Amino acid sequence: MKLRPTLAWTAVGAVLGVVFAAYLRPELALTLATQLWNCF
Amino acid sequence: MSSSTTSAKTSATTSAAAPKLSMTQVLICGAMVVTLSMGIRHGFGLWLQPITMDRGWTRETFALAIALQNLAWGIAGPFAGGLADRFGAFRVLIVGGLLYAAGLVSMGLATSGLAFMGSAGLLLGMAQSGTTYAIVYGVIGRNVAADKRSWAMGVTAAAGSFGQFLMVPVENWLIGSFGWQEALFALGCLSLAILPLALGLKEPAQTAAKGTHQSVGAALREAFAYPSFQLLMAGYFVCGFQVVFIGVHMPSYLKDQGLTPNVATTALALIGLFNVFGTYAAGTLGARLQKRYILSAIYFLRAIVITVFLLLPLTPMSVYVFAAAMGLLWLSTIPPTNAVIAQIFGVQYLSMLGGFVFLSHQIGSFLGVWLGGRLYDMTGSYNIVWWIAVALGIFAGIVNLPVREQAIVRAAPAAA
Repeated sequence: MKLRPTLAWTAVGAVLGVVFAAYLRPELALTLATQLWNCF
Repeated sequence: MSSSTTSAKTSATTSAAAPKLSMTQVLICGAMVVTLSMGIRHGFGLWLQPITMDRGWTRETFALAIALQNLAWGIAGPFAGGLADRFGAFRVLIVGGLLYAAGLVSMGLATSGLAFMGSAGLLLGMAQSGTTYAIVYGVIGRNVAADKRSWAMGVTAAAGSFGQFLMVPVENWLIGSFGWQEALFALGCLSLAILPLALGLKEPAQTAAKGTHQSVGAALREAFAYPSFQLLMAGYFVCGFQVVFIGVHMPSYLKDQGLTPNVATTALALIGLFNVFGTYAAGTLGARLQKRYILSAIYFLRAIVITVFLLLPLTPMSVYVFAAAMGLLWLSTIPPTNAVIAQIFGVQYLSMLGGFVFLSHQIGSFLGVWLGGRLYDMTGSYNIVWWIAVALGIFAGIVNLPVREQAIVRAAPAAA
């Protein structure tokens, strides 16, 4: 019965991993570093 | 307990009407609303360069509009919360969603600095006050059982954190693929998704339990005269100061120390990632531990993490560890702070009281940004502000300890 929570957490981890990887693309890195933090 | 005599007492927690919406429905709709409202605004910095270049404005015009937005968000918060408590959260969410769409579209169409302030500043600030945590938490408070409330608030806060984390690369892709103006229009359409989600948070007509009704004025007088409410506001002020000071000034600090922009971006991603886990964990812990201890621990840990970061040699790895640790502590104050307000004062005016505490957060945010810049200009370094952030963390850790979490006891009115 622990399969569902395990699957759910795995899915959450996978989604978060994909989004994290998006931040590490070189073309995105400079844009974010110079612009995004301005408006936290 | 009887409500038929003037001498009878009633606990604040008894003023909650019986749960009317299913917890799953509240969580799904509430989490999606907050994901959208917190996510869309988080990437506004990405528009700085394209808008200022295209319109020929200075960065100051853009920054002033965003500052105005944050201020409007804080000031409108108690009013939006009061309206949600009085007329229903779903009505406020619908107006907030419409304002969000109107603000984004008019932000794209604005050709003067004044129009930009009105759209990106005022309209979007008011939209956020009507679509973020305080409003959704009112619905959670009234519809989720007290023993699961903190956990449910943690789930919703984690969704908001995820929205912030997710929408930055999405918005960057939208701008790159379609242009900055079209990207704003697309987000305007996306923000309209808040409207159907608001219907999922439409509560059946609520009637306060007999003998427990309280007026807005009485609720405000009670809260502001209650020392624990003042202590929670003081703590949230510190939260805003620390988070926004670090958020705004961190890249400049890292650049001054000779680190590359890549390090700043990775740090940003780590904060976003760990923030999701931190907010969820804080909400979950709030269901098991006293919330004042959780809040106190968060603020003390922030002070410790910043101190260690300042004292150790600065390397990319030390920045990453700092970002991950601060990410865990980033918005984790939200679930326990709001849950303890519900616990003390009940849920009748939860959105309004949450709005007032958030106003304190926004004042701290404003000071964090302003003082960071001001003291840097005066001294040529961020050192003083970093140590102020440490001192404030210790202060907030201390002031949260004596918070009384017990439901306030009120005299019940006489029976008709």
